[in-house]
Amino acid sequence: MSMNDLIPAIKKVLEEVDVVLGWTRSPAAGVAVPARFHTPDEADGAIFDSTCIHNLAVHLPRLKNSKVGIVAKGCDARSIVQLIVEGEVSRDRIRVIGVPCPGVIDVKRAWRCYGFGKKIEDAGGRVHMEGRSVPREEILLHKCHQCRDQEPVIVDLAAGDVTSMTPPPPPDKSGIRERFAAMSITERREFWREQFSRCIRCYACREACPLCFCRDVCSMQTREPHWTGGQVNAIESEMAQQVRISHMAGRCTGCEECERACPVGIPLMLLLEEQNKIIEELFAYRAGASLEDKPPLLTYDINRDGGWR
Amino acid sequence: MPKTEVKIIGFLCNWCSYAGADMAGTARMKQPASLRAVRLPCTGRVNPLLVLKAFREGADGVLVSGCHPGDCHYNEGNYYARRRLEVLERMLPALGIDPARFRYTWVSASEGAKWADVVNEFTQQVKQVI
Ligand code: SF4
Ligand code: SF4
Ligand code: FES
Repeated sequence: MSMNDLIPAIKKVLEEVDVVLGWTRSPAAGVAVPARFHTPDEADGAIFDSTCIHNLAVHLPRLKNSKVGIVAKGCDARSIVQLIVEGEVSRDRIRVIGVPCPGVIDVKRAWRCYGFGKKIEDAGGRVHMEGRSVPREEILLHKCHQCRDQEPVIVDLAAGDVTSMTPPPPPDKSGIRERFAAMSITERREFWREQFSRCIRCYACREACPLCFCRDVCSMQTREPHWTGGQVNAIESEMAQQVRISHMAGRCTGCEECERACPVGIPLMLLLEEQNKIIEELFAYRAGASLEDKPPLLTYDINRDGGWR
Repeated sequence: MPKTEVKIIGFLCNWCSYAGADMAGTARMKQPASLRAVRLPCTGRVNPLLVLKAFREGADGVLVSGCHPGDCHYNEGNYYARRRLEVLERMLPALGIDPARFRYTWVSASEGAKWADVVNEFTQQVKQVI
């Protein structure tokens, strides 16, 4: 896709909305940063490329009183759908601009390997960083390797042909997921103890999540109910995260934003991916896959439930 | 070496399992002293976080028991509970908690003997893994 499709699409949508959520290029770092476009002039700065990693749906519940346009990848569209299903966003208040997604690059990982702020260029199947380059499948986000959202479930205006790339096979088989899967239950207990001993209770995971919309009544923090104390230690922090994870059951679309936001690199997706898998096995439900589905924990099926035991 | 004494927190529905446990008690059926019962209005009240918090506070096992599906005093509380508890149970290995330390089950007010069996058996099971 070229910006020749995207910019006119944003301008068109601006005729009916107050603001369009999209991306522009950071002059300093060269990668995409989220941007809000209010006027056609501003929209000239819009871009879409494989560094557009952010899930902009997180802003929708916070913009309750405006009409909002949003540029969405296939997976972002699922967050939008889930927000509508949960009654957090009304369908007639938003306009979705679909884009064909090439898969997004794990910018943080790339910079950790090659130097922070290095210019990233994605061309010819390789990602180039100041003289060095790696095959792009080695540096794509994990979710893109198993992308099942090549076509956004909700689109009002398509910027070009919105069918995304076919996901490449995952490159290495020795990553954290494989190591975690091989651990015994006792090892996992130790693993989480160690991981959560690094948590600083910044709540970035919650803030980055489009489906964490309780805001100031979040049980990760409340005194009443008092699920967890405010102390920063492994036990309290793990409990706080268990609160969040259990609230994500049947709601998480697997966008990976919590993990990306975590400043200390706790692999939160290990738990969320497991939970999503369980939910899909039990209830054949994928969050945000359709506007008609009822969230599985808000309903029951007398005839089928229990047959899983 | 299996532990001899274990602490099990039971979240019991007032209308069935709590009464069933009471009945087992009055009939002087043999039961281990491992269970600490928490009486709730319905299994629909069981937030999965109650279970996780009990583990975190040091429980060796957690047992949730309510009315049989179809018999909930509030008609559907245990239908919702069943879904949540099943998800929770399957999540436990990833959280680093042995799923053998958790069980949810249905015991009615008239099933005193079944209640004693459930507690005995679950206590044995917990002892094996603690
Ligand atoms: S999961 Fe699919 S739609 Fe989402 S960023 Fe990756 S390739 Fe694009
Ligand atoms: S983002 Fe990471 S460090 Fe911050 S609260 Fe969440 S898990 Fe803890
Ligand atoms: S009243 Fe017993 S489970 Fe609902």
